[in-house]
Amino acid sequence: MRISTRLHRSIYRWVGIMSAGAAALLVANSAWAQAPAAPAAAPAAPPSWQQGRSADQAKSPLHPFAPHFTGRTSADLPLDKLKVPPGFKVEVWVEGVPEARSLALGDKGTVFVSNRNLTEVYAIVDRGDKREIKKLFTGMKVPNGVAFSKGTLYVAERHRITRYDGIEDALDNPPAAKVVIDNLDPSAQAGHFWKYLAMGPDGKLYFNVGAPGNIVLPNYNQATMQRVDPNTGVLETVAQGVRNSVGMDWHPRTKELWFTNHARDWISDDLPNDTLHRVSRKNMNFGYPFCHQGDLLDPEFGKGRSCKEFDAPAAKLGPHIAPLGMRFYTGKMFPAEYQNNMFVAMHGSWNRNTKHGYNVMRVTTDAAGKVTGMKPFLEGFLTDDKGDPPMWGRPVDVLQLRDGSMLVSDDFNGIIYRISYKK
Amino acid sequence: MIFVAVVRVAVGLLLAVTLPVSVLAADMAAGMQKAQTCVACHGPEGNSASPAIPSLAGQPAQFIATQLVMFREGRRKDAQMSPFATGLANADLNNLAAYFAAQKLVLPTREAPSATAEVGARLAQQFNCTQCHGPALMGQQHIPRLAGQQMDYLKTQLLGFKASTRFDMDGQMTSAVQALSEADIATLADYLSALK
Repeated sequence: MRISTRLHRSIYRWVGIMSAGAAALLVANSAWAQAPAAPAAAPAAPPSWQQGRSADQAKSPLHPFAPHFTGRTSADLPLDKLKVPPGFKVEVWVEGVPEARSLALGDKGTVFVSNRNLTEVYAIVDRGDKREIKKLFTGMKVPNGVAFSKGTLYVAERHRITRYDGIEDALDNPPAAKVVIDNLDPSAQAGHFWKYLAMGPDGKLYFNVGAPGNIVLPNYNQATMQRVDPNTGVLETVAQGVRNSVGMDWHPRTKELWFTNHARDWISDDLPNDTLHRVSRKNMNFGYPFCHQGDLLDPEFGKGRSCKEFDAPAAKLGPHIAPLGMRFYTGKMFPAEYQNNMFVAMHGSWNRNTKHGYNVMRVTTDAAGKVTGMKPFLEGFLTDDKGDPPMWGRPVDVLQLRDGSMLVSDDFNGIIYRISYKK
Repeated sequence: MIFVAVVRVAVGLLLAVTLPVSVLAADMAAGMQKAQTCVACHGPEGNSASPAIPSLAGQPAQFIATQLVMFREGRRKDAQMSPFATGLANADLNNLAAYFAAQKLVLPTREAPSATAEVGARLAQQFNCTQCHGPALMGQQHIPRLAGQQMDYLKTQLLGFKASTRFDMDGQMTSAVQALSEADIATLADYLSALK
């Protein structure tokens, strides 16, 4: 590994020197030729989210949306636009949690909330009739992943996973971090390296290591699902060819891992689909960067390849719809037909001229675990599908509370909503 | 039905949350009051008269709030500015952002030399400035307006990005300016600061 890394570095340096040389040559040439005032300069490398764009997309106005890092107050928002099925109710559960991302539930009812661009982990607790927001940690490095198991909070930062034992008894004075695994981010380069974190039924922590760009050849440990045993630190690859997954859960009956995945950008408005995956055996490879959505060869990396080499997704969720948090419903509050259904938070498309998503979808499966349907469960954030921005809120994660109601985080506004049901 | 329930919860929260969390809408009047400290350097209504200090008038609210958060959290640093952001609550930042976004930018009276204007406009296309800052470089959402901004301030930011010392949320600006020469940066700053 070490040798190949060094080789890579020296190749990069080479490319750098070559292009600097080429530029110098161009400047020198134009000086000799007494060229007009305009100097010949190589165009700058485009921002990383533009990587993979074709020449005819060069003037595309599409761009990602940044959250309001101060949070926005519910009084400023059109909450009356939110819609849930008959019998359900949606309300603001808490606000003032800037960039609320992933959610985890403690044994004693604490809700842990993570950040991606900001550096905090929050704990939200009900004390009597008061709901308190506690800033648990600050100064963390992309702490997108939070998981809770048997009294311990685990946090996945960009580069490491740490544990905090007995956290719910020490919310005002949290213990020092104990490292589960470190050095997960040796390259420190731009890319999909924020992590979702979940505790598996096998007692191992599952997380994603995404691709280093939109459509690039990943190295051996990128574009994978991985797991680490928190007791031993042993790391294993669970699945490969996964561009970036930021949501996962285990089927309550089969105990199989399911996860969401973001496909590449800049093929077209309608291709490829983002996907839902089911891990039914070891060493599955879902195709990135060669094949997308199980049946679409990549225009560049797909040359000479076949989608038959790879495993297909369980479902296509929609192009650029950005599925994030995903959980199976096992609570007693919602009607019986919701048992073992999946709820998937769609962060919403940016790489599409007509926007869609920005909702929570309900996904149903049959007894064999085959996906049978998908319909919107919480919607209303999308208000103008041609707008910039097109939405006023963005769902990130879903979390079932003990009473069977469901929380939905919204990083755009720093708000968490609660959905409940009453006959 | 939903709306009524939501409002009731929001009112409940005002009493319940112990961190200083406001559930009131962004408050322009409160923003104006807080802004009295800012205008000492940033100029009346956020129209700077100093080439090194940016104008805030007419910048997108989300851009102002984002930068204030980053100053407060110590991720963007400036010896003069950083102390003023310390201790401000998110609600203060939202109010300040709403206030300055609503002010009118006094347009530059200076014209850039015609050669500079021509080369500057070309550089802004070639180096993708218009991709995010908009075709007229007026900014949008979390991305600042460049048209009519102070020249030395623009130059300092671009040089900071080039040296990877200026705060950059996602690395876009740092990568975008790498191929700019110092002469290009001077031309762009000259062109942008005179742009109406």
